[in-house]
Amino acid sequence: MTEQVYFEDVSEGEEIPALKKNCSTQQLVLWAAGSGDFYQIHYDKDFAQKTGLPGLIVHGALKNAFLGQLLHDWIGEQGQLRKFGCSYRGMDVPNEDILCRGVVKKKYADGGKNFVELDIWTEKPDGKKMSPGTALVTLPARA
Amino acid sequence: MADEFEITDDMRKQFGVDSEPWTYEVTTTSVRMYARGIGSDDPIHYDVDFAKAQGFRSIVAPLGYLGTPVFLPGRNDPTFGFPRREGGPRLNIPFKGLLDGGTETEYLDVICAGDVLEETSHLADLKMRGKMLFVTNESVYKNKATGQVVAKQKLTSIHM
Repeated sequence: MTEQVYFEDVSEGEEIPALKKNCSTQQLVLWAAGSGDFYQIHYDKDFAQKTGLPGLIVHGALKNAFLGQLLHDWIGEQGQLRKFGCSYRGMDVPNEDILCRGVVKKKYADGGKNFVELDIWTEKPDGKKMSPGTALVTLPARA
Repeated sequence: MADEFEITDDMRKQFGVDSEPWTYEVTTTSVRMYARGIGSDDPIHYDVDFAKAQGFRSIVAPLGYLGTPVFLPGRNDPTFGFPRREGGPRLNIPFKGLLDGGTETEYLDVICAGDVLEETSHLADLKMRGKMLFVTNESVYKNKATGQVVAKQKLTSIHM
């Protein structure tokens, strides 16, 4: 578990702690079982290649879930996620690092809640953004 | 085939037409399986006693997990698991290739193991970009015990 982050300690432009992932084919199968998405392009190389893909690819929704984990780990037990999402701009493959990152875009208080908006994304080892998106969370105040 | 496809007014008329509801279950086993799928080791997703000590009803669903649709042979898609429902939008999409386009989830409450959700969905958007068709469906999830909307999710698929 990570230390609780508080609203007062967050600054616009600040990067939140990154989360590094690297999917084995076993993890893709675990994800298939967990999500119910058994599309063969994620575990059957021959099938994937017959569809024109170079090989197996990582589920888009798994990258979205990785970004969910990035946010979950950052907001701590007292934070709440209100909204998050991303679009899938390219393919990621097994056994290659996927870096999940986020930057605080805006912070504000409204209706007694402390809101933080973030830009979030996944990134390839060469720094190319693959899954850009946004998130809205609430954080506890120290006071 | 992609050259011949166009979005028609009949297709657009299906925007917002709700499907019949379908039950999604959130169980201790399914929460743990999803958490293993993303590679999380946070006990909040695995250990019921730990989660209860933190004030939750049971282990907490990882972000992005809104339960598993009840599977009925012949009624659910065998590959993706989603329900093939009576009513609601019907699109005859001729493309064979399919990719995820994007996911957007809004939370109105925490989802925990033991929750049983009722989901309805509707077609929210259709767009052609080049030779690719982008289909966006929006789902609303209610807790069946309380009737409260707990989450909304937009899923975009790319057909080509």
